[in-house]
Amino acid sequence: MNRPSGIDWRAVGVLYARETRLALRDRTIVVNSILIPVVLYPFLLWVTFTGITFVRGQTSDLTARVAAFGLEGGLEGRPALRKELETDPHVSFVTASSPTAGAVDVRSGSLDAVLEVLPSGRAEAALQVRLTWARSKERSTAARERLTTFLDRVRERALKREGASRGMDGPAWTLFTLEVRNVATGREMGRFVLGLLLPLLFVVMVSMGCFYTAIDATAGERERSTWETLMTVAAPRSSIVVAKYLYVLSFGFLAGVLNLAAMALTMKSVTAPLLARFGAGLDFTVPTAGVLVLLAGALVLAAFLAAAMMLFAVFAKTFKEGQAMLTPFYMLATLPVGFLAVPGIELTTPLALVPVVNVSLVVREAIMGVFRWPQIAIAAVSSALVIAGSLRLVVRVLSAEEVVTGAFAGGLVAFLRKLLRGRSRPVSGKRAS
Amino acid sequence: MTAVTASPVAVRGLRKSFLDENRGEVRAVDGIDFDCAAGEIFGLLGANGAGKTTTLRILATVLRPDGGSASVMGHDVTREPDQVRRSLGFYSASTALYPRLTARETLEFFARIGGLSRERVRGRVNELIARFGISAYADTRVEALSQGMKQKVSIARTVVHDSPVLIFDEPTVGLDVLNALDMRKLIAELRSEGKCIVFSTHVMSEAEKLCDRIAIVHRGRIHATGTLGALREATGLHYLEDIFVRYVETAGG
Repeated sequence: MNRPSGIDWRAVGVLYARETRLALRDRTIVVNSILIPVVLYPFLLWVTFTGITFVRGQTSDLTARVAAFGLEGGLEGRPALRKELETDPHVSFVTASSPTAGAVDVRSGSLDAVLEVLPSGRAEAALQVRLTWARSKERSTAARERLTTFLDRVRERALKREGASRGMDGPAWTLFTLEVRNVATGREMGRFVLGLLLPLLFVVMVSMGCFYTAIDATAGERERSTWETLMTVAAPRSSIVVAKYLYVLSFGFLAGVLNLAAMALTMKSVTAPLLARFGAGLDFTVPTAGVLVLLAGALVLAAFLAAAMMLFAVFAKTFKEGQAMLTPFYMLATLPVGFLAVPGIELTTPLALVPVVNVSLVVREAIMGVFRWPQIAIAAVSSALVIAGSLRLVVRVLSAEEVVTGAFAGGLVAFLRKLLRGRSRPVSGKRAS
Repeated sequence: MTAVTASPVAVRGLRKSFLDENRGEVRAVDGIDFDCAAGEIFGLLGANGAGKTTTLRILATVLRPDGGSASVMGHDVTREPDQVRRSLGFYSASTALYPRLTARETLEFFARIGGLSRERVRGRVNELIARFGISAYADTRVEALSQGMKQKVSIARTVVHDSPVLIFDEPTVGLDVLNALDMRKLIAELRSEGKCIVFSTHVMSEAEKLCDRIAIVHRGRIHATGTLGALREATGLHYLEDIFVRYVETAGG
């Protein structure tokens, strides 16, 4: 294959328009790069609230099967305790031969909890109540919560009564009251929540936008046998590479921006009012500078991922092979971002040098209204260098005739190894006649 | 611009080798020379693996030669690949169309990328749609077309930018008798328009009917070149098949 020549921007425009038109007619690309980013958040929100409502409904209707010991007769209001428990429609008493047998039943799941009032030995000592439950059983957990709440309520009432009988007014019978104050505003809380959620989903979405288009632009051409057709059109090879790169980049960027827009809309118009009903007034407004940084972040991320993914996918001969070649890189690019949700991780200078991680940290901090401009500049410059290097390598790979003709057996690593060894002859995997 | 020769297509001492994991270095093209003039169909006749496709791929700038030279309309394939591609249309059984474009969109794309102005594209595409009998399915996606229909669209896209040189690499492979006949008719028409056509085939009857001059290619070399009449005279044999076998056997093959 011949050396790359200058870029013909007119040809780039024609090729780009064709790539885009073809992509918009491909169901896989439309679903993964456009539909999923748009519907993901409303869908997740629906699933979450439906799930919460369902679980709450199930829990509130659950009847706790309880075996009680030591509530019969004697002093300290034990019969009253039992009587009060019996009036609770969500508690049913079950017979067990002993507390030990009851614990075995709890473990097996035929019983939810065992409530024992232990003998105190002294009349003036407080009652000792033991609650046996199994953390591994959801029913048992629900029974524990129900019984604990019930016992707290009974104790509070008794203390109040006792205080009143001793002439203590109001809450004086309590040693102290605790008031917890959250000084974070609704806006700050909203940004904090967004900052935790958004970077990972943002990186995943931009990656998804690049993933299928990168394969479509390279392995897809081979699978459809249109690669050679393209190699013989009257356009410089560099223009073909640039058009394909811009196509992959723009779909990655589009996926990222649509994702951000969908998230903003969902959070502001659906999540915030819902949370307000539960008493949590969160405001998901992102600062204007943050929006600009987000857009720039989407562009930089898409620019890097497009180049990197094309670099891997260009060696694949079929769409399936392309997916297999790209998946490890996809995982490598997206998984570390999940760890960034850990509190305390900030955009430091070393992290500003790591591709993908740097952009997701810039994005997270921008949402929270934090802008470390020196580190942002380092992230921008290092990203630009990595993108330029990757693109150069893409052009180099697509200048190798064994790659163009599909004769090269192996992936990027094999190609780089060969490049370093200086072998320039094509390997005849698919030799022409 | 490098003027190698006055012929639209000129090939001199062309060489190309591949590394085969089992056989080591294989000389696919081993010093091929030929010219093709305007209004001529030059046929490369050879068995599978003779070096025809490699030669044509070098002319189309898909492959880079190891040695020798090749030029299209005076442009060297190695030094001026962009100009070479602008000067030719390349058709092969392995060059497919984009399934999600309609026939019209396909032609428009190749016309635009071939350098035609936006204004000229519509007229040229309509002209080819009428000429190749594509009208009935011009706005149907390629993926829904039959093999014969696709073939017509493929030829139309090869000639849409009106290049002076056309390369056809085994164009009738996989076609039924009637479609192959149509294809040969279209290629003959293009010759009458003054196009310089380089054509490869392993079908003797096709070469006999279509080619003005025939080169017998075997193991990367041309063993004889000439009109059918000249080849008959040189060998004393009438049928091209016999002539071909004679040269191949003489070459030790």
